[in-house]
Amino acid sequence: MQYGFYFDSARCVKCHACEVACKTWNEIDLGPRWREVVKIESGTFPNVKAMNVSMACMHCGDAPCRNACPVSAITKRVEDGIVVVDQNKCIGCGFCVWACPFNAPQLTTVSSKMEKCTFCQSPGKERPLHLPRACEEICPTGAIITGPLAELAKVNREKAARRLAGADLKGMPNVVLDGAQRFAPPAE
Amino acid sequence: MTAMNRDVGAELARIKGAKTIKSFCYTCPWQCPTEVFVRDDRIVYQKGNPLSPNNIGARCAKGMASWYVSRDPDRLKYPMLRTSPKGDAPAFRRASWDEAFDFIAAKLKKIADTWGPEAVALTCHHDPNTVFYRHLLGDLYGSPNAGYAHTSGCEQDRRAACLTLFGHVFPMHDFANARYVMLWGMNMLGANQGLWESRALMDAKAKGCRLVVIDPNFTETAQRADEWVPVRPGTDGALALAMCRVIIDDKLYDEDFVNKYCNGFTGFRDHLHARGYTPEWAAPICGIDAPRIVRLAREFATTKPAISAIFKGSGYYTNGTDAGRACYILDALTGQVDKPGNIHLKDWAPLAAPVAIPDSAKRKPGKPPLHVAMGYPLAPDLPNSKLPEAVIDGKPYPVKGLFVHATNPVMSDPNRDRVMEMFRRLELGVALELYMSETALECDVVLPETSFHEQAEVRNGMWLGPQVILCQPVVSPVGEAKPAYAIAQGIAERMGWGQHFPYRRWEDWAELMLKDIPISLDELKETGFWAGPVKYDRVPAGLSTPSGKIEIFSQAYADAGFDGYPVYGERSVLPDKDYPLQLTHSKFSMHCNIVTQNNPYLMEVCGENWVEINRLDALKYGIQDGANVVVESPKDKIVIKAKVVEGLVPGCVSVRHGHGFGHWAMGSVAKGRGAHSNNLMDTHTSPITGANCYNECKVRVRPA
Repeated sequence: MQYGFYFDSARCVKCHACEVACKTWNEIDLGPRWREVVKIESGTFPNVKAMNVSMACMHCGDAPCRNACPVSAITKRVEDGIVVVDQNKCIGCGFCVWACPFNAPQLTTVSSKMEKCTFCQSPGKERPLHLPRACEEICPTGAIITGPLAELAKVNREKAARRLAGADLKGMPNVVLDGAQRFAPPAE
Repeated sequence: MTAMNRDVGAELARIKGAKTIKSFCYTCPWQCPTEVFVRDDRIVYQKGNPLSPNNIGARCAKGMASWYVSRDPDRLKYPMLRTSPKGDAPAFRRASWDEAFDFIAAKLKKIADTWGPEAVALTCHHDPNTVFYRHLLGDLYGSPNAGYAHTSGCEQDRRAACLTLFGHVFPMHDFANARYVMLWGMNMLGANQGLWESRALMDAKAKGCRLVVIDPNFTETAQRADEWVPVRPGTDGALALAMCRVIIDDKLYDEDFVNKYCNGFTGFRDHLHARGYTPEWAAPICGIDAPRIVRLAREFATTKPAISAIFKGSGYYTNGTDAGRACYILDALTGQVDKPGNIHLKDWAPLAAPVAIPDSAKRKPGKPPLHVAMGYPLAPDLPNSKLPEAVIDGKPYPVKGLFVHATNPVMSDPNRDRVMEMFRRLELGVALELYMSETALECDVVLPETSFHEQAEVRNGMWLGPQVILCQPVVSPVGEAKPAYAIAQGIAERMGWGQHFPYRRWEDWAELMLKDIPISLDELKETGFWAGPVKYDRVPAGLSTPSGKIEIFSQAYADAGFDGYPVYGERSVLPDKDYPLQLTHSKFSMHCNIVTQNNPYLMEVCGENWVEINRLDALKYGIQDGANVVVESPKDKIVIKAKVVEGLVPGCVSVRHGHGFGHWAMGSVAKGRGAHSNNLMDTHTSPITGANCYNECKVRVRPA
């Protein structure tokens, strides 16, 4: 089963609560940003548009970070598809940072090891997968939903069905987005 | 669902090796009910209380990060007494609580003997525990000025408008049932994080509710809106009056409702005609073309249930009070008041006083309260901007002592120079503070108060129905910090009024407050809140206005020398050749006013403020995105980072969170980050309500 995030950019108001919840639950130091909300603006006055996207590790189907890691520190769990890094193996080279299209891997001088969203599966702080992730639990507007991709599909069946087809494509993120936002498949 | 939610907290707490305590968050005044995870006297996580109807299980960034305040090494640990003369570089020494209480009591007695008790005032941030000082300084000491808060720096005009029209000080919004929501200068989704309201608005939108945001700034709420109406700053009143005219002329108003339940409908119709308030008149004033005004008015009047609401933005101008009235008259004309999907005239829970002071012990004030004596009988709260006149000039009568609780007027009020001068002239300035704040530095005594994580509070919840929420102490106090109720008790004992503050534990006074609430304190400790039924349709039964009806016409305004109907007048400070840009302000959701900037976890997300400027103005004045700029008014100038944006009406700039950044005290994290903009503006005050007019300011910008 593949777990992932549903993100509804129509609801996100860039309040950053998800970032702070992520940091608090997972006990992350100042510095690394496992999750970050990014605002994209377009148009000219008065026809302006702004969209916010809460970004973290997408737990990709065929994770580029895993493929790039020279010491095999990054693995994708068979049972839930979550991409994890073994910090004991990580040498902090940063290949994963280059390979990731989303800047999810965080390599800072705090630990000098790569760290990133663990889908709240950090050792000793594992949230059971039937409960919401910290980012989902805190979101005031309900912009983030997490769970098995098959269940996320029910959130928006028609759109999700299209996305699901893409989710199994090589290198596509396991994120279901509303119609307002699409990620292009990575260039070959 | 309920049982399942209850288990989530327990399940998560087990993972953290923590116990959970039901409480509420007082980082901001929305005070969301919470579940706090505590392990080894430390807060390790927080959740929204999932059982509470006004939390929906969520938190905001500042609430989630608020654990830091309970461990912040920069917190005040001891009472401090000033050792340097006022105006000199501030110096303090550590004092004992006994010394501090004795000092305050002696000064209070001296001021009462020399000037009268009315010479002592209190200002606060609607902290529920301020109630103890109200009883101490109001009931016992006899000051008529102990009931004040900070509203004139906040939503004074909204309160005044709602009181005038509906007899209700703080209506909620029933977004969940609305199909059309029109927000005026109200950044519901950005600045005001009433989390359940944000969720309800988003859920309503997902079901097809149309959201229209009228604001010069493309705020977070405007960004999520179906339509952004980029009105020129300070012209909301003209736009709303023109829309009223359309609704009346097109006969789209609710005839039965206005005839039965509104005071002054026909007079208002004649007033709009006599004044010439039409869409064509408003268009050039507001920068919104007339057909669009007509369309918006028709949409609003014909899509029900609907809400037209304001918060702060429209009130930051000297014409803001009537703008607010006009925005709410849209609700009244269309009969959209207190029904499902309307603005909601919520019932308050009948909380009793935490102390029982017999009438025989109370001292009757000898003078009217300051706002009345100042000539603002319609003000719902003290006109803060006028307080310096009382302290410095003795007008309308001298004020010599000021208690400041959970607020920081030196930074939050306009015209910082004047506010600092006021504090230096006081005979007794008492700051009840978490930090050695900018205001504390100007005081004589600084008392370390516990944070909300270290104390109890009981208050009315900000929800549709009547609700009581409880904040429980979850961790030990920092240093020698005391809760407000213990501090008030200490002062009371020195004043000889100890018998009126007899509680030994917080539960003693909390039980008194709950005597009329159908829940015991023990039950409340388990649930964290009590909620009564949500009721609708209170208008036919009569409102708490003088006429019992919705007052489109207000005799009280007429009696005070204003027009009984809302009028549009130009704001006071207009840009000119030398200062070509209007200064406006907006806030952040990840910071609350002046209290969160020492939290490194919030500063990581948003560590400085900035000024937004439209790209066309940036081109004109040579401003680069991300570069520092000088923002200069006739009074002062600041250096601040610029953001060049499209989402702002050309001709104005918007300083974001200008009152909360640029700390020069408070703590090591906050100090020196960003820029403080409140000395750019001179003192301008709403003539009706005495509200601070932060946006009555013209500026010019240039690269730094």
